[in-house]
Amino acid sequence: MLEAKQLSKNYNGQAALADLTLTVNKGDIFCLLGANGAGKTTTINLFLNFLEPSSGQALIGGKDVTKEGIETKKLLAYIPENLMLYPNLSGIENLDYFSGLAGKKYSVEELSRFLLEAGLQTDAHKKRVNAYSKGMRQKVGIAIALAKKAEVLLLDEPTSGLDPKASNEFSELLKKLSALGVATLMATHDLFRAKETGTHIGIMKEGKLVELMTTDQINHTDLEKLYLKHMN
Amino acid sequence: MILKIALKELKEIVRDGRFRITAFVVAALLVAALFVSKSYYQSVNAQHNEAKKNARSEWVGQGEKNPHSAAHYGTYAFKPKYPLSLLDNGVDKFSGVSIYLEAHKRNEAQYMAAQDQTALSRFGDLSPDFVLIFIIPLLIILIGFNSFTREHENNTLRLLKSQGVSSWKLAAGKWLGVFIPVLLIVVPIYILAAIFLSNIKDYGQFSLGALTILFGVYIIYYAVFTNITLVVSALYRKSNLAFVTLLGIWIVSCLAMPKVSTAIADSLYPYPTQVEFEQQIAEDKKKGLDGHNPWNEESKKLEQETLKKYGVDSIQQLPFNWAGFLMQEGEKHTADIYFKHYQLLKDTYVNQSKVYRATAAFSPFLPARFLSMAISRSDYYSHWDFADAAEKYRIELVGKMNGALMNNSKYGDWDYLENDKLWTAVEDFNYEPPTYAAILNLNGSNLATLLGWLLASSLILYAVVNKIKVI
Repeated sequence: MLEAKQLSKNYNGQAALADLTLTVNKGDIFCLLGANGAGKTTTINLFLNFLEPSSGQALIGGKDVTKEGIETKKLLAYIPENLMLYPNLSGIENLDYFSGLAGKKYSVEELSRFLLEAGLQTDAHKKRVNAYSKGMRQKVGIAIALAKKAEVLLLDEPTSGLDPKASNEFSELLKKLSALGVATLMATHDLFRAKETGTHIGIMKEGKLVELMTTDQINHTDLEKLYLKHMN
Repeated sequence: MILKIALKELKEIVRDGRFRITAFVVAALLVAALFVSKSYYQSVNAQHNEAKKNARSEWVGQGEKNPHSAAHYGTYAFKPKYPLSLLDNGVDKFSGVSIYLEAHKRNEAQYMAAQDQTALSRFGDLSPDFVLIFIIPLLIILIGFNSFTREHENNTLRLLKSQGVSSWKLAAGKWLGVFIPVLLIVVPIYILAAIFLSNIKDYGQFSLGALTILFGVYIIYYAVFTNITLVVSALYRKSNLAFVTLLGIWIVSCLAMPKVSTAIADSLYPYPTQVEFEQQIAEDKKKGLDGHNPWNEESKKLEQETLKKYGVDSIQQLPFNWAGFLMQEGEKHTADIYFKHYQLLKDTYVNQSKVYRATAAFSPFLPARFLSMAISRSDYYSHWDFADAAEKYRIELVGKMNGALMNNSKYGDWDYLENDKLWTAVEDFNYEPPTYAAILNLNGSNLATLLGWLLASSLILYAVVNKIKVI
């Protein structure tokens, strides 16, 4: 579903991403690890067509994101590190708006079901978002992805700042989506979650993918060792 | 989808307390202005009708008189107050309401409303046009300045853009989100104005079509401001910068440009001062024929020519009263002088209008203002059209009086009198204002400029929203 082919991004000759090649298939949860500035967010921004690649291609569902920006976005859902919604609108209104932008029409009951499925308690649905915690906003983000029937999830450190319970719930949701065939690309710092939730792990350093493995190839301790080896 | 975006924008705007207060204030101002203007219009209209009746009955009831004396006695022409001037007062305050019509002299319109007011009136009257043309653009800015910038500031743009919505649809939705609140204020005012105007007694020339065109002009004007507001909002990332820039644009186009273009027009094509104007006319009059002075050089010349033409030796032998003939010839001569000098004024006006049309390319305010005044028949063109009609009537009236003297009396019979038979034979002054078709025709370039603004600002908006960067 997701494919990067020799994808590169330079800023004034400085490579933020160099020759990235990776594939995320249906049902895969691909976790990108790496220090800040390693190129994880750049990769996600390139898939979102928020940035123009310097060379190479980013493909979603076989389509080049720079050429078919609108079409490829219809396939994906994106949850940034700090998902921001319209503070004066309620959770349900936000969901209605964003899924409407994606061309979907739902009744209030259906919208409410998506929020519930994403783990947001019913009594919060009609409250304005300015009263929401970060975890609650992230759940609306998941609901947006569910409502959109996204085939691809692009997640940029979605669990950072969430308490362990919320983080765990989030991971469970990802697994559920993965079982439905959603391809997920997630940038994260959380080695434990990556090992627990992910199907594939990639370690990035200075714009390059330096390690690529499936999670069943490695245990948690070895992953940490490997990671630290690259960072030092 | 565009509607969905617009609805969400509206929801946000309505839930924002600032908008509720401002919109309420603007709507209240407009309604108050409409009521104030309505009562003013009604009282002026009543005065006008009464004065008109009085002037006529004074003319008809002036008693037995020498007809030339009657021409000196004169009468008044009253400028009608047009229904739409209730919405846009234009220059009515400064142009005078009645013209005294008498022999030998073209008078200026008198009794300007501004003369009766205190220095405080310099701050402007509360009239609907003030709200419509100055305040509503401000309201548009207030609603729309952060339309795009708040997406940056709230960090909602990334999520928004990741949904796969095209830029122009987003812009169209946001555009409606700004424009619909404006319509919600303007449309009820339009309906209210239509109800008011069609319910006023003796409302004269009220035309719903003209009112609709007037509001159409304002709607285009607001659309231009909405475009400008969204262009600026899309160019900036910070709301406060967008707001300050938009305020600057408002100040330049609504306050500075009108003054600058007036200054340019005045320095390129200055009007003579009142004193200069009167001196020039007096100068020309001195050189020419004086109906009251048979020993004047020009009078003597005319006498010789006339005697020759009729083949007689003395003015007593002419088939008409020489005194009346001389009066009328003198009248024609002064009328020509007035025509010439007023034509010069009009040429200056036309030249100044050209300057305004040129500067209108820098401010959508100018074409909107001129169109609004023209459709409301409260601009200088309307005033002059009236003044010209009054002058034409004056020439006819004096001509009839002199004609009666010339044809019905003998030379030297200064005691000759006419009575109300002649006075009533002179028809009352009935002024037909120029048609709306003529007015629109005359203002074609203003309309074109305004539409040009709409087109250009729409294209710029389209280009700018496609360039919005998420990162």
